[in-house]
Amino acid sequence: MSTALNKQPQLGPQRLPMHAASQTKGLEMERRLQALFPDCVNEAVDALLTTLPVPHRRLERWKYAAVNGFWAECARSQTQTLVATALDPLPVPGLDAYRLVFVNGRFDAASSSLPVAEGVTCMPLSDAEANGREKRILTDMERTDWFAALNGKYATDGVFLSIKDGVVLDRPLVIHQRQEGVGNPTFLRHSIHLGKHAEASVVVWSSSSDDASGFVNTLTTGAVGEGATLRLDKVQDEPGTVHHLAMESIDQAASSHFRIQTATIQGLWVRNDLAIALNGAGADAVLNGAFLPNKSEMVDNHTTVDHRMPHCTSSESYKGILYDKSKGVFNGKVFVRPDAQQTNAYQQNANILASREAVMNAKPELEIYADDVKCSHGCTIGQFDDDALFYAQSRGIGEAEAKSMLVHAFIADILDGFAVEEVALEVRHRLAEKHNWNRWDDPSDN
Amino acid sequence: MLKINQLKASVEDTPILKGLDLTIGPGEVHAIMGPNGSGKSTLASVLAGREEYEIGGGTVDFDGQDLLDMDATERARSGLFLAFQYPVEIPGVSNINFMRAALNGKREHAGLEPIAGKDFLNLVKEKASLVELDGKLRDRSVNEGFSGGEKKRNEIFQMAMLEPKFAVLDETDSGLDIDALRIVANGVNSMRSPERSFLVITHYQRLLDYIVPDFVHVLVDGKIVRTGGKELALELEERGYDWIKEGVVS
Repeated sequence: MSTALNKQPQLGPQRLPMHAASQTKGLEMERRLQALFPDCVNEAVDALLTTLPVPHRRLERWKYAAVNGFWAECARSQTQTLVATALDPLPVPGLDAYRLVFVNGRFDAASSSLPVAEGVTCMPLSDAEANGREKRILTDMERTDWFAALNGKYATDGVFLSIKDGVVLDRPLVIHQRQEGVGNPTFLRHSIHLGKHAEASVVVWSSSSDDASGFVNTLTTGAVGEGATLRLDKVQDEPGTVHHLAMESIDQAASSHFRIQTATIQGLWVRNDLAIALNGAGADAVLNGAFLPNKSEMVDNHTTVDHRMPHCTSSESYKGILYDKSKGVFNGKVFVRPDAQQTNAYQQNANILASREAVMNAKPELEIYADDVKCSHGCTIGQFDDDALFYAQSRGIGEAEAKSMLVHAFIADILDGFAVEEVALEVRHRLAEKHNWNRWDDPSDN
Repeated sequence: MLKINQLKASVEDTPILKGLDLTIGPGEVHAIMGPNGSGKSTLASVLAGREEYEIGGGTVDFDGQDLLDMDATERARSGLFLAFQYPVEIPGVSNINFMRAALNGKREHAGLEPIAGKDFLNLVKEKASLVELDGKLRDRSVNEGFSGGEKKRNEIFQMAMLEPKFAVLDETDSGLDIDALRIVANGVNSMRSPERSFLVITHYQRLLDYIVPDFVHVLVDGKIVRTGGKELALELEERGYDWIKEGVVS
């Protein structure tokens, strides 16, 4: 056997360089957070925060996503002030769902409706930690990334959901994360545990008021038991100058299914960091996302799928349409470890630059240490198809409508993949509103 | 209906149309024939409003309007239709939704409300039967996975749906077997009327057996060099283009 096959891949950053000015910025930020959240104490995180490099441009992971906005937003932060708002607790009209609402990271009990069912335990994370049901265990992400580590210490609340073996959650659970006011730093941590053959659909919907600022740092951890199914619909719709870092760390047992469907509707700075570990044979992961930034928005999708055991499948498709001066990043890592024979991994990233000034940075990264696997990946960056546009116009369809038709066609498969149909519909409406598509001709609506 | 006067057009600084004159009256069917590279398809694209072509001079009057002043969408909404030589595939956009957007665009231009769903479906059914277009093809993505013949039939179906005043058929016969050719020609013939004019661009005389033109023009090197009746097409079929080219040179 060759040495390459014996070698275990070294996951995560190794001996990463620090950048003095960034370390200082990070330290300032952390001091401010300590002042804002004096009750947050975590020595393990403190150790990480001093040894991990604060993100800067020379770290490969952060090369294309500048973080200076975080320093500026944090400097604006003040003592949490909550104004009563006429917030619709359910961002998706007409959806029959359980819901947990958080405003600036604080649980809003009055707006929430928790599931009460045999075999289902659901409560705010703060309660679960207080009564000993949940212990905060740092994920690999937190151990390797400075921003992620912050979550381990400062997450004030979140959702705790635990479902027993064989139990199926009868309705979707909507986690509505609302950002309001000036410069508020929000840290949320959601912890999902599915027993063997359990099933749940969870919607994580982030919204904000039009003038909101500050940042949102969320970490969702999922332990998906043997044969269990977790579906995660993630929607990011935050106007204002909110900076949003959303992390998912998912551990899958044998024959489990995990599917995450992300739509980034708006947000000045949005980054999704996903780490999926396929820990049991026959597990299956699906990661899809669509992002349509305009103006000077930035959307970064970083994914890691770690095939650790044999006979697992993963499929990934991220599609972006970038308008104006927006920026996009896609970085898709796939590790296939020596034991992960018979892996079938697929990755696709397709992008349309709708403006000459838009920028897309895309990077597939496949590291394969097993020899009997099927891995494929593809990446495209293009423009609107001029022939198709002219063809539509020659039939009397206006240029704007023709473009929106092409956009819909391009991302239809992603939007159709949401676990909750009402979410898919609302995402379409929100996108149409953002981009002034005067009508949405749903291809399936005749 | 259409009056082209001294039209000049180039693509990437290469002149293609070099002072073309053509007048088409209401209800007339004109055919344009000519050797490869003479500018036939350029003429079709320029009339439909493709922006890659630079207009170097001349005028085009379309039913009293300055055609060159309108963009492609306006031209279509004003009643011009181009049946493409190579119809474009648009994955993910269903043929039927595409046509509904097109028809409603035209209705909006005419100050009409969008067509009701039921009326639209009845219209689709009626027009599709003209060119024997299968129901499945109506629901599939625009031209995606269509055979050559199906694509051309889809073009004529779209034309029938939009009921243009003036239609340009750009080598609609290319790639068609004899049965498909007859279906396409029947579709076109059923639309002939005293108010509707056609410009049929073709390489071969064969199509003109089915769609009988009132006039035949020969396009050589960006100009119309000869005009005659339908018998001119037969003569071209027999003798080729060289004798005309020589005539132009001398």
